[in-house]
Amino acid sequence: MRGDKFIKLIEEKFNILETTREHEEQLTILVDRNDLPAVVKYIYYDIGAYLTSMIGNDERSINKNYALYYVLSVEGSKLPNDPIIPNEEKCFITVKTLIPPKEMTYPSVTPYVPACVWYEREVYDMFGLVAEGLPDKRRLMLSDDWPNDLFPLRKDAMDYRFRPEITNPENEPEFTFNEPDGDLINIPLGPMHIRNEEPGHFRLFCDGDTIVDADYRLFYIHRGMEKLAENRMNYDQMGFLAERICGICGYAHSIACIEAAERAGGIEIPQRAQALRIVCSEIERLHSLLLNIGLACEATGNYTAFMHIFKIREYTMQLAQLVTGGRKTYGNVIIGGLRRDMTGNEIKQSLETLANIEIQVNEIWDAIMDDKRQVKRWKGVGVLDQQIARDFSPVGPNMRGSGIMRDYRIDHPYDFYKKIEFTPSIGEGGDVFARIYVRYQDLKSSIHIIRQCFELMPSGNLSIKANVNIQAGKYAMGYVEAPRGDTTHWIMQGGSQKVYRWRARASTYANWPSLRYQLRGNSVADAALIVCSLDPCFSCTERVIITDIKNKESKILTEKDLKAICRKKD
Amino acid sequence: MMKLIDITDKYGLETCKYPLEPYLVPETYRGQPKYKFDLCIGCAACSVACPPNAISVKAVDTKVVWEFDCGRCIFCARCDEVCPTGAIRLSTEYELAAKFDKSALIQRGEMDMASCAECGKLYSTKRLISYTLRKLELSNLSEERIKNAKFYVNLCPECKSKKAILSLETEAKEIL
Repeated sequence: MRGDKFIKLIEEKFNILETTREHEEQLTILVDRNDLPAVVKYIYYDIGAYLTSMIGNDERSINKNYALYYVLSVEGSKLPNDPIIPNEEKCFITVKTLIPPKEMTYPSVTPYVPACVWYEREVYDMFGLVAEGLPDKRRLMLSDDWPNDLFPLRKDAMDYRFRPEITNPENEPEFTFNEPDGDLINIPLGPMHIRNEEPGHFRLFCDGDTIVDADYRLFYIHRGMEKLAENRMNYDQMGFLAERICGICGYAHSIACIEAAERAGGIEIPQRAQALRIVCSEIERLHSLLLNIGLACEATGNYTAFMHIFKIREYTMQLAQLVTGGRKTYGNVIIGGLRRDMTGNEIKQSLETLANIEIQVNEIWDAIMDDKRQVKRWKGVGVLDQQIARDFSPVGPNMRGSGIMRDYRIDHPYDFYKKIEFTPSIGEGGDVFARIYVRYQDLKSSIHIIRQCFELMPSGNLSIKANVNIQAGKYAMGYVEAPRGDTTHWIMQGGSQKVYRWRARASTYANWPSLRYQLRGNSVADAALIVCSLDPCFSCTERVIITDIKNKESKILTEKDLKAICRKKD
Repeated sequence: MMKLIDITDKYGLETCKYPLEPYLVPETYRGQPKYKFDLCIGCAACSVACPPNAISVKAVDTKVVWEFDCGRCIFCARCDEVCPTGAIRLSTEYELAAKFDKSALIQRGEMDMASCAECGKLYSTKRLISYTLRKLELSNLSEERIKNAKFYVNLCPECKSKKAILSLETEAKEIL
């Protein structure tokens, strides 16, 4: 079976305590915690794998230990000189290790595989597990004034409604940024404003106009969804909660979450539902990619192109509305299938809209490519070096722009992708232009995929009555190639209709750690563009317009006005 | 650059003058759920299905209070799917802003409760019982079976189980 070959290779070198198979292509090996770094490094570099996710788990009620799961996607390194792993052998190997609660430490994998850095920092925040040898031991997710001895995801730590008291601003501990030595200018960007309006704080360390290094702090709005789901949600509600993780690739999250639950329960959904899931997620890809190409134009001051691309994006939103009944949050996925079918008439209308989108996308792309000034702003900026991409496992267009062909639709085809033919896109050079180019190619293949789905879609049931076979302690992973790269959800089932542990890893999470290397050596003026080319998740409301319909007058409320309204009591 | 402006010119305007003119949404749009009190039977299926707990059905004194808080609603249409009578349907309404008065977002309905024929305890809404009786008449069951069911409909859960056990016992005795 899939992956057995690799397990044998690992067995020759290391002592594997136990091997289990969760799903057709998902395997878990249990190793001693002292072997952990060597095993992960061996799979990552010698066999050829990328880090998909890492999950910490409090399993004291199951086996009296804490557990760590390093999920590696064995797909070959994809660098030009390395061996290729054929598609039918690709699989996920999870390296599991147990940590006794008395010691709470494990050897860090980060010095060997840099991609683990954020995950290991997060595990400290959430469980208090210390990675010995981790170069960067700062907090990642929790706020600076969070109590030092409270680790929220431990099962016995706190009630999910508990909020620790907020420290006075003057007593709040300072977050230390990694400042390089030398006489450098420290430029703060944020916390509320870089490129788009999202709480993220960036420090650019500059020598004159050139960025020498950068550091950033995110998670200002960490919402604790995992804790909430473990305590309060049932499987029916979780899909809807997952959809609200992101305002752009919400559908990818809901599919990933539901499919993880379906895999853990061993449910196979009908073909028609599989095809329609793909249709919706490709529509989502269309609008997300158009959004990012538009914003890349806007970040360089090209508002005409930005406005026009957003106009095309409007058609994709209408398409989504036609297919699911919602412009953005589709609320369509349930365990066992989908909730809303498409009629023949709707398919016909969708095909017309698609044709329109295709024509306009090509037109606008030609026009932008004709504009030499625009293209020069993108070329050679924010280069993601191939070796750094190899070390940090970024995902999606960010990775493909650097010439590494990572696409879960090809590597680990799920649902209907097994039946669909399409050529994945790849860029060269790893600069902003390469990423934008990959996105344009993705747009075209997306349209192609939707057409194929409509053609191949079988008739029949849209959902099955899911008799979820819930076994406490069983786990599986659901993954979706979202517009920004793969989105991975990991679910461990618990008793009484609830999850034991839910780990949602959004695609941008994997892209952030390598950003500082992309920023290095560029000018301050391009910082916003580089961050934008990563396609980070951003959402916020900047302003409100009040329109008086009777007098036909409108007034824009500024931040001051909004604050004054909030303070006013009635 | 000029090419871009030409394209923009070619396709004209996409924006509409909303709110000065209406913005049309497709029929399948999932807007604000609308509650038809006359159809509601207080079966609480919607409150069970609702993922964000926006709908609550509670017994207050002698009434069953159905309450929907649109501020919590995520417009998923689960309630619409499960409602047996079509009392709650998603409309195409999308203008939901309430001016500093959140009570404008709440829809409410109160239904009388029926008392148990045996012990007199309030246990369900009168509408749910008459709905069940109506459905029973339409059902394709034997007359005796319907008669039996009609008798049990008017009992609260505790009395129902007591009666059922009692009748089973007597039946068993008769057979013996």
